[in-house]
Amino acid sequence: MLDADVEVDRREFTVCATLRVAPGERLALFGPSGAGKTTLLEAIAGLVRPRRARVELGGRVLTSTESPGACFVPPWQRRVGLLRQDPGLFPHLSARGNLRYAPGVDPSGRELAQVAEVLGLSGLLSAMPARLSGGQAHRVALGRLLLAHCEALLLDEPYTGLDASLRRVLTELVIELTGARSVPAVLVAHELAEAQAFADRLAILDRGRLLQVGAPDEVVLRPASRRVAELVGYLGFVTRREQDGAVAGIHPERVVAGAHPGHGVVLAGVVAGGRPAGAGWEADLRVGDENVVCRLRERHAEAGGELVVTAIDPPWFGPDGAAIDPPGRPPAPAWPPDPEQIRT
Amino acid sequence: MSWAPNPAAAGGAVRREDPSGPRRRRGPGPATALSRVRSVSGAASVAGALVIWVALLGPVIALLTHLSGHEIISALTGPGDLDPLVTSLAAGGVTLAVLLVFCTPLAWMLARGSLPFPRVWEAGVLCSLLLPPLVIGLLLIFMVGPYTPIGELLNATPWHLSATNTFLALVIAEVYESAPYYVVGAQAAFADVDPRMEQQAALLGDRPRRVFRRVTLPLAAPGLGVALSVAWARAMGAFGAVIIIAYHPYGLPLQIYITLQETGLASALPYALVLLVVALPLPLAAYTWSARARRRRRG
Repeated sequence: MLDADVEVDRREFTVCATLRVAPGERLALFGPSGAGKTTLLEAIAGLVRPRRARVELGGRVLTSTESPGACFVPPWQRRVGLLRQDPGLFPHLSARGNLRYAPGVDPSGRELAQVAEVLGLSGLLSAMPARLSGGQAHRVALGRLLLAHCEALLLDEPYTGLDASLRRVLTELVIELTGARSVPAVLVAHELAEAQAFADRLAILDRGRLLQVGAPDEVVLRPASRRVAELVGYLGFVTRREQDGAVAGIHPERVVAGAHPGHGVVLAGVVAGGRPAGAGWEADLRVGDENVVCRLRERHAEAGGELVVTAIDPPWFGPDGAAIDPPGRPPAPAWPPDPEQIRT
Repeated sequence: MSWAPNPAAAGGAVRREDPSGPRRRRGPGPATALSRVRSVSGAASVAGALVIWVALLGPVIALLTHLSGHEIISALTGPGDLDPLVTSLAAGGVTLAVLLVFCTPLAWMLARGSLPFPRVWEAGVLCSLLLPPLVIGLLLIFMVGPYTPIGELLNATPWHLSATNTFLALVIAEVYESAPYYVVGAQAAFADVDPRMEQQAALLGDRPRRVFRRVTLPLAAPGLGVALSVAWARAMGAFGAVIIIAYHPYGLPLQIYITLQETGLASALPYALVLLVVALPLPLAAYTWSARARRRRRG
């Protein structure tokens, strides 16, 4: 179990967060640039000195500022692995030299051969890092952490810059390996899809504060505040003045064409603009004074035309930005609707 | 929808191209002109490089043309003729050892900013680099001369050491002349090592000393090698400070100067050649090795 309660002073704000990650569990820290995600990882790894902290890993106290018993275990004794965007391979050592760098690596080479086999590195062991592709370098870096028998894995935007298919392969590999070794893992991501693909739980960090922690779909579908909603991709907020100023958060991907009043909020407006988005169409819809972005399967109206859409079961926020229950009606039934229901 | 440009839409009627007509009248195409510019600039850069080499190596070429094998042998085979060479090599070796032991940690701390008031330290190194060697020699007399506290302290040791006109004085002068070159070069070499490499090594379980030995030093080695070889060349050629505080025992530069004064230019030339042979190969070898090591790491 990785248990971290950390307060680190930064120039603009204090990073203050509490994380608990069980063995084999994967937590993704998601937030905007400069939110303090990397600082939090560095505090866990012992690379920055926190103002106040208690970090425990597998029952060992790594950092404690509480007196008596204050302690700070140096990074080389923590057994915490950190993988950054730059894999950080030692350029003067071959892939094999990098893999067996850690002092405790099995000298017989049996474990190294096994890890290299699993990571698909068997044919690359004598290559120098400069000769490796981005994906190969990341696999060597991951193998190096596995061979060092790290008890926790911290991943700081490790796949930024790699192509999507490679990112998917590496993410699956890390999921498999952390599960097999029962290692708690924390991923810092600034792309929501990457965080969702990796994590059992998603934590939203903004200006050093944890705003919400929960299952990825729960955080995205039921954001705890308007700020969380903005961070996880809600691009439109529609105010209902008749309902005490409650605001519905509109996620572009949770919008369907047509009026389905039983499933959410029906919005009628004028198309202000549009563009292709993936396999569908993204439209800017002007609803009263507010702008709502919708990603639809097809192009339903030209610019200037009228369009009616339904925001499926949107989250609602009070005037203070905190989440509230949907005003005036029970929660909407699941979407897409049950085919039986449609027939009847 | 097609993204292919429509010539009719862009410029009205489609013009029929005559491949041989207008092109010939307008002269060479852009590709040919570019290749000509490249060949002209290539020739100019080769000529420029030749001029620089001739200008830099001119004195060496002149030295070689004025020396015959017989002259070199007769000048260097008399009794005691090789003593200045031995003195220079010994003093240079001790100087390098002193630089390695004392200046390497200083350069590392300057590069990592772990010294208090780092700008003051850097200014100190820069000042010693900028001071004229002759002035260094004069100032050293006031610092380590026989009537100074340090001089008296040295004299009070069981070996009655003296920091003027001794081998120790020669080493002190060479250290003063070469240390700033080494510190500046070594600092740049350490600054080139990404601190995140050291962090990564620490997270993999290495203590700081082991990180320094296994990561910092190997990564900085090409730059350190060049810095050390430059310091060696400076130590071998040290003259300004040496002539003031270490007139004896003669090293090679002083031997050249004295021979020039006493018996003329022709007699001094063999020693000049020896000095070049001793001072230059190490920097050249270090530069070649450093370039190769950097290329290997870059792939």
